[in-house]
Amino acid sequence: MCKVGIYLVCDYPDRNSFLEAVKLCDGFGVDFLEIGIPFSDPTADGDTIEKAALEVLEREGIDDFYDALKSARKIFSRKLYVMTYANIVYANGIENFAKRFSFIDGVILADVPFRESKRFKDILKKYDIGFVHFVTPETDFETLEKIKSSANDFIYFISIRGTTGGKFELDSDAIERLKKLESSKQDIIVGFGIKTRDDVKKACEYADGIVIGTEVINSLTIGRFDEFLGSVVR
Amino acid sequence: MKGYYGEYGGQFVAETLIDALDELEEAFKRFKKDRYAKKELNDLLKNYAGRPTPLYYAKNLSDYLGCDVYLKREDLLHSGAHKLNNTLGQAILTKFMDKKRIIAETGAGQHGVATATAAALLGIGCVVYMGKVDAERQRPNLLRMRLLGADVRIVEKGSMTLKSAINEALRDWVRNVQNTHYILGSVVGPCPFPEIVAYFQSVIGREARKQILKQAKRLPDCVVACVGGGSNAIGIFKGFLKDDVELIGVEAGGESLELGKHSATLTEGKPGILHGALSYLLQDEFGQVAKVHSISAGLDYPGVGPEHSYLKDTGRVKYGVCFDSEALGGFKVLSRLEGIIPALESAHAVGYVVKNRDYFKGKTVIINISGRGDKDLGIIEALEEEGV
Ligand SMILES: Cc1ncc(COP(=O)(O)O)c(C=O)c1O
Repeated sequence: MCKVGIYLVCDYPDRNSFLEAVKLCDGFGVDFLEIGIPFSDPTADGDTIEKAALEVLEREGIDDFYDALKSARKIFSRKLYVMTYANIVYANGIENFAKRFSFIDGVILADVPFRESKRFKDILKKYDIGFVHFVTPETDFETLEKIKSSANDFIYFISIRGTTGGKFELDSDAIERLKKLESSKQDIIVGFGIKTRDDVKKACEYADGIVIGTEVINSLTIGRFDEFLGSVVR
Repeated sequence: MKGYYGEYGGQFVAETLIDALDELEEAFKRFKKDRYAKKELNDLLKNYAGRPTPLYYAKNLSDYLGCDVYLKREDLLHSGAHKLNNTLGQAILTKFMDKKRIIAETGAGQHGVATATAAALLGIGCVVYMGKVDAERQRPNLLRMRLLGADVRIVEKGSMTLKSAINEALRDWVRNVQNTHYILGSVVGPCPFPEIVAYFQSVIGREARKQILKQAKRLPDCVVACVGGGSNAIGIFKGFLKDDVELIGVEAGGESLELGKHSATLTEGKPGILHGALSYLLQDEFGQVAKVHSISAGLDYPGVGPEHSYLKDTGRVKYGVCFDSEALGGFKVLSRLEGIIPALESAHAVGYVVKNRDYFKGKTVIINISGRGDKDLGIIEALEEEGV
């Protein structure tokens, strides 16, 4: 079975709708959630997620996000990840962040590549928080093997060259690397640009699961998240 | 550690860019070993850009301040600022990597103009990102870039200043990394950019050291330069790092040192991660990047190059601030006394020396005039209309 992960921007469009969405995900059997803590300069994100994140940031700070994540943790019964940028974890000390958010399963930092990951990963691990590495169609094979052997959580395969919200594709470089990752002990999750059931099917030929972000935010913006979820999950 | 200055620097970028950064580092290594490529750059710097730039003994200013002031005249470099030293160098690296497209960010527009200039010379297509606020306040440079053939994309997100322009350039690079080189304009960003930009800008300090020894028969007591990202400052400091010479970087104090009203990153910030590097950063208590302000678009940035953070912590360089009003003072003093209209960025270095004239009394000082002020006449005109 191919796992389905859903990306939500924390407290977008507002606290109630956000928690409502978390509940729906739980009900639909979504396998894991990635919850984005907004950062002022989200350079790995496309327009949709940037806009949503900056909108939330206008009115909320880290204490609100902490409360929202705590509530989400109570509602959602499977794995819960935080996706954000390095400085949010770094600013007040990685250890302090890890202590405070020790109830989450893992952390995904969009601007922390494998070679800069050690300082984060080691401390998070002490609090039993996983660290998610990325592999891209450009990752060289030596690095790929290192990532494969040292991963302590799923491996995030970014199938496209671009920011979130681009058009999904799997070219020969991508497929070659996905094949090399097949023997990994950890799940291989494909993300960036997945929108439709067909995209999901295609990605799942080579991976253990997928994540959908931008299309989720779009559907939340127009108030049709449940329909969208039904169309990809069932 | 590789790519670090003490604890600062690194490569905090999307995994997708790692391969491009490695490729750039490789190209830079090859360039440094390539006699012909270096000769090509030196020929361009001399015959096209007008190097060496003069070191000028500013007699009137010296009399006025009671010290010996020498001006390093980067304002006389082709296209009007030190930025061309770096873009000509990186344009050659672009050829080395066989990339067919160049992108850049710009604040004051000087780096955008310098990139568009180098791209025109090489016959490569060029896209420049510029925040809307900067496109308005530095309009002459917007027009120059377009004349030079650049596709200028106005950024209407976030602060709409230099920071937003870098965000958009990074996004473009992630999408087009296979055929595109990103020419970063200061000693900021992920490794190897800080090293590459410092290398190409160090020609300023090399020349200045030779020139002052010839003219004054001695080394200076102090070298003063403004710091936005920090490229003109690193460029001139490199010539004197090993000497017993006091090095002073001047940051934009803006309106006051209240968070949000200045861009004095090293003076007021604390370590953080933005645009690929760990360095001093102006941020709120939760790690969100702070709003900043400076009258000068080129200094209006919440970050700073990692090597400066290191030089601050080791104490080798001293960093001070010059407020908007003091920079305007420096701008006017240099115009009236010497007939040199500096860029508002460079005017911060002048204003700092003027406001601390007691400290500099009797000393020999080099001020780096990183650029010329034509681009700023609109800002000056608007201020005069307001009666400032
Ligand atoms: C004339 C001039 N000086 C200084 C700067 C600041 O940059 P840096 O600190 O990298 O020299 C700029 C940037 O736009 C500039 O145009």
